[in-house]
Amino acid sequence: MTKPGSARVPDVMTDRVTGRRIDLYATQAANRRASWLLFLALAAVLALIAWLLALAFDPAGAGVFVGVGVAVAGVQSAVAWAYSDRIALAAAGARRASREEQRYLVNVAEAVAIGAGVPIPRVFVIDDRAPNAFATGRDPSKAAIAVTTGLLDLLDRQQLEGVVAHEMAHIRNYDVRFMSFLAATVGAIVVIRDLVWRWARFGRRRSSGGGRGQLFAMIAVLALMVVAPIMATLLHFAVSRRREYLADATAAYITRNPEGLAGALGKLRDYTGAPLQASEGVRHMFIVNPIARLNATGWWSTHPPIQERIDRLRRM
Amino acid sequence: MGVLITLVVLAAIVAFVVAIYNRIITLENRFENAWSQIDVQLKRRADLVPNLVETVKGYASHEKGVFEEVARSRQAMMNAQTPDEGAEAANMMSQALGRLFAISEAYPELKANENFQLLQEELSAVENKIAYARQFYNDAVLQYNNAIETVPGVFIAGPMGKKEHVFLEIAEGDRETPQVSFA
Repeated sequence: MTKPGSARVPDVMTDRVTGRRIDLYATQAANRRASWLLFLALAAVLALIAWLLALAFDPAGAGVFVGVGVAVAGVQSAVAWAYSDRIALAAAGARRASREEQRYLVNVAEAVAIGAGVPIPRVFVIDDRAPNAFATGRDPSKAAIAVTTGLLDLLDRQQLEGVVAHEMAHIRNYDVRFMSFLAATVGAIVVIRDLVWRWARFGRRRSSGGGRGQLFAMIAVLALMVVAPIMATLLHFAVSRRREYLADATAAYITRNPEGLAGALGKLRDYTGAPLQASEGVRHMFIVNPIARLNATGWWSTHPPIQERIDRLRRM
Repeated sequence: MGVLITLVVLAAIVAFVVAIYNRIITLENRFENAWSQIDVQLKRRADLVPNLVETVKGYASHEKGVFEEVARSRQAMMNAQTPDEGAEAANMMSQALGRLFAISEAYPELKANENFQLLQEELSAVENKIAYARQFYNDAVLQYNNAIETVPGVFIAGPMGKKEHVFLEIAEGDRETPQVSFA
């Protein structure tokens, strides 16, 4: 250990191109604000649906549709809250890494956790040749990180540190919690839509002839029922992409070594073997989407383009 | 009415001061905790050393100089009284271990030894954790220093007797995993 003396904090958070400092805490705050805005937007959509339903049918019917939707979303959220880590790990086929067998991985995870100032997470491995990794757990004390055996074979120590730090960043930024909440809200809108469809097709219509306003409201409801789930899903993915960038920046900050993660992402981009066997529900959780075309600029992508992520890291 | 307003304002001021006080104490605890994390890793490294020396002796028994150097650094660490002495001893140990691993390069049978490989991984990992623990310590000190030197913390840090803390210097190349090779 060197003697306490001159102050020198390693500085990786200055953009070498623009010379501007990247303020991680400001980025985090902006992200949090965006999350709240999104939540308010979704709440507004729910309220709009309720209002239109009330116009088109009657207030009691609207109350039932929205009430059931919100209740279902609440139950989904509660289940996700309690079991999300176990469900995700089981769906990905992850098994607990033992210190004896995976000494290297466990050591890397411990070191990065010390650097990030979070409790040491549980470490899991997935027996799959495709290199990938994900994190789960609703808060840092319940966190788990899973990596594939293919990732362990492909990366060197500093690159593995970068990937583990990216996952640790998702945990520290409470991404898992927020994303499961968001998924539940999208689910609620879908449930309401299905209820309304069923009602519209098989339900008993009110006998009293409605006026013109009621007809328009009904058309608006049907249109909204088609559009709302799509919009909600697109919002979900947009937030997911933002969070990947933030996790990359946080990982660079934790390891003080953007090149580690950048190198790892380069290797993941160049991997051409069989894709990871993962069910659709967990694909968005991984560091790169197992479906290569979903790492792109498009609206339906869960992750930003890998090359853009690498470029941003190399600019730090 | 005037009394009520005065009381409310006083209560608000007290709550504000308490919040700043708690913030400073929390940050202070954080970096003290970070310091103990460095200590834990240094002790772990010292515990691994006798085992390593025994293993290397089995293949390179005549390299007495480096064994003595390692033993001296370990002794110095155990005898250290002040943080400065501890820091110096830890530095000595880093250098001695570096030499020990450099020497072991010349013994292919030693390098193939499973126990040696295990110890080498564990020591690399400990070095790595020490580096990360130091980095986190510096982060925690930076937050603490900022808290007591900026408004509003600066107003009560003085009366609390809180002073700026110094950073640990992170040596160049410290963050690399030690990989010694003599080409």
